[in-house]
Amino acid sequence: MEAKYNFADRFGDQVLRCSKCGLCQAVCPVFGAMLRPSYSARGKMLILKEVMDGTIELSDELIETLFQCTICKSCFENCPSGVDVPEIIRQTRRDMVQIGSCHPAFEGMNEVLKNHTNIYAEDEPEDFERERNKKAKYVYFIGCVGSYREDEATMSTLDLLDRLKVDYTLIDEVCCSGVLEDLGYQINERLARKNIDLILATGAKAVITGCPYCSRTFNSKPQYAELNDKGIKIIHVTQFLKGMDFGVKTDKLVTYHDPCDLGRHCGIYEEPREIVRKIAPRFVELRHNRVDALCCGAGGGVRGAYPKNSIAMARRRLQEVEEVGADVVLTECNSCVHNLSNAKLRKQKFRIYNISQFINELMEGTE
Amino acid sequence: MEIRGYNMPEDLYYEQNHFWVRDEGDVLVMGMDDFAQILAGEIVYVQLPEEGKILKAGKRFAKMESGKWLGKVYAPVNGELVAVNEELETNPGLINDDCYGKGWMYKIKPEDKGELDNLMHTHEELDTWLAEDIEKYVKE
Repeated sequence: MEAKYNFADRFGDQVLRCSKCGLCQAVCPVFGAMLRPSYSARGKMLILKEVMDGTIELSDELIETLFQCTICKSCFENCPSGVDVPEIIRQTRRDMVQIGSCHPAFEGMNEVLKNHTNIYAEDEPEDFERERNKKAKYVYFIGCVGSYREDEATMSTLDLLDRLKVDYTLIDEVCCSGVLEDLGYQINERLARKNIDLILATGAKAVITGCPYCSRTFNSKPQYAELNDKGIKIIHVTQFLKGMDFGVKTDKLVTYHDPCDLGRHCGIYEEPREIVRKIAPRFVELRHNRVDALCCGAGGGVRGAYPKNSIAMARRRLQEVEEVGADVVLTECNSCVHNLSNAKLRKQKFRIYNISQFINELMEGTE
Repeated sequence: MEIRGYNMPEDLYYEQNHFWVRDEGDVLVMGMDDFAQILAGEIVYVQLPEEGKILKAGKRFAKMESGKWLGKVYAPVNGELVAVNEELETNPGLINDDCYGKGWMYKIKPEDKGELDNLMHTHEELDTWLAEDIEKYVKE
C-alpha cells in the first residue's frame, strides 16, 4: 500500500532502521546548542516513525522540529545503521511544503527567488570593480553570501586571483538555487538556465566557485548537468589553489574549520589543509575536525529561519578555536565566515578568514 | 513624540539611515530609530568595533543584521568611537525592545559637536523624511 507521505515510501525502511542509539544526538549541532532531544536526528526519526504509524500527522506543529536541521550530515556519518537523515529531512520538508506546512522564512526564500536573482532580494549587486561576462579560461562564481554578505572577503579572493594572474571572469550570476532543495522546494529552472548560458558564453573550461554549496549544486544536480556534458569542470577555490606557491608564510597559530558543504558533503578535507600548512607552519587542528567537524550552524536554511540558534551553534564552534588558542581560524565558505564572524565575541581576539582572503592579505602585507 | 505612527523622541538628532544621536555633553550616544527597528524585524547581530576607531561622517563603520536584512551603520559625525553597548553582543534584540534606551549602540566623542546641525531634528524635517521613507519602504 502506498504510504501517505513520500518520505515513508522512499525512506520508511531507514526510519525504522534507526536503533535510537543516540550517537547522532552527540554530534548534532542543533541539539548541541538547544539541548532539546526532539531537535536531534534521533528525535526527528522518532517523530517520523509516529507519523508513519499514523499516531501524528505532518503539520505546522512539527515545523519547529523538522525545519531546524542544518543538513550538516554529522548524524549520517556517525550512524551505525546508515540512516541518511539529511535526505530523509529533505524529503519530509518537500512533503510538508506539499501539504502547506512550511517555515515562513523558507517559503519566503522560494518566493524571493521567483522574482529576484539572489536569496536576499538585493537589487544592487556589488560590482567588485571588474568587467563581467568576458571571454576567459575560468569563470569565478561567487555565490549569494559572498556577493551580498561577505563582499570584502570576496574582493580579497578576487585580488588574489589577480595577483596569481589567473585568466578569469565574473558573470552576472544569479543564485544557483541549490539551497531550495534543502528547504522543501526544487531548483529554480530559470535561474539555472541563466547561469548555464552565462557560463557557456564565456568559453571557459572550468568554473571556480567560492561557495562549496554552489560547487556541489553545479556538480550534482541534473539542472546543471549541461555544464558537465559540455566538458566544463566545476572546482572549489581550494582545489584550484592547491599546489600553488604563494611565497608567503605567517608565524601565527592557525587552525582550520571544515565547512560541511566542502567536507562531509564533498569529501574535500586535504586540499585546504595542504594550502594552510604551506602558509602557516604553526597549524593546529580543532578538536572536531574533518568528518567530525562541528557545523557552524548556517546551513539548511537555519541561518535564515532561526538566526539566533544558528549563531548559538557558531559560538560552540568558536569555543573550540579558543581551546586551541589559535590566532587565526581559516575556512573556505562565505556562509561559515559570515556566521562565525557574527558569533565571535569581542573577548575572542582571533581573526576569521577564508583561506584565499588570508593569503591575499599576507601577500599584500596587511596581515 | 509620535510621528506618523513611529516613536521619534524630539530631543534626538537623526541621520538619514535611521540612526539617532543624543547629545550627552562630551559624548554623543547613537542607536537605531523606531522606524528602522520595526522595518528590520528582530535584530540578530550588531558589529561592535574596537573603541578608539576613528569615524568619518557619512562613512560606514559597522554592520548589523536581522534575519532578513543587512544594515550598514554610517558615522553621523566625525569623531572617535569611545564605547559600544556590549550587551548587544549576546542580546541584540534589546534594539527591538528599547531602541532609545537599553538598545543604544555606540558612544562617539565628536570632533566638532556643531556637526549635529547637519542631522535632522525639527518636527517638520522628521515628518517630511518619514513620509518619504514610509512611501519607499513600508509595504501595506
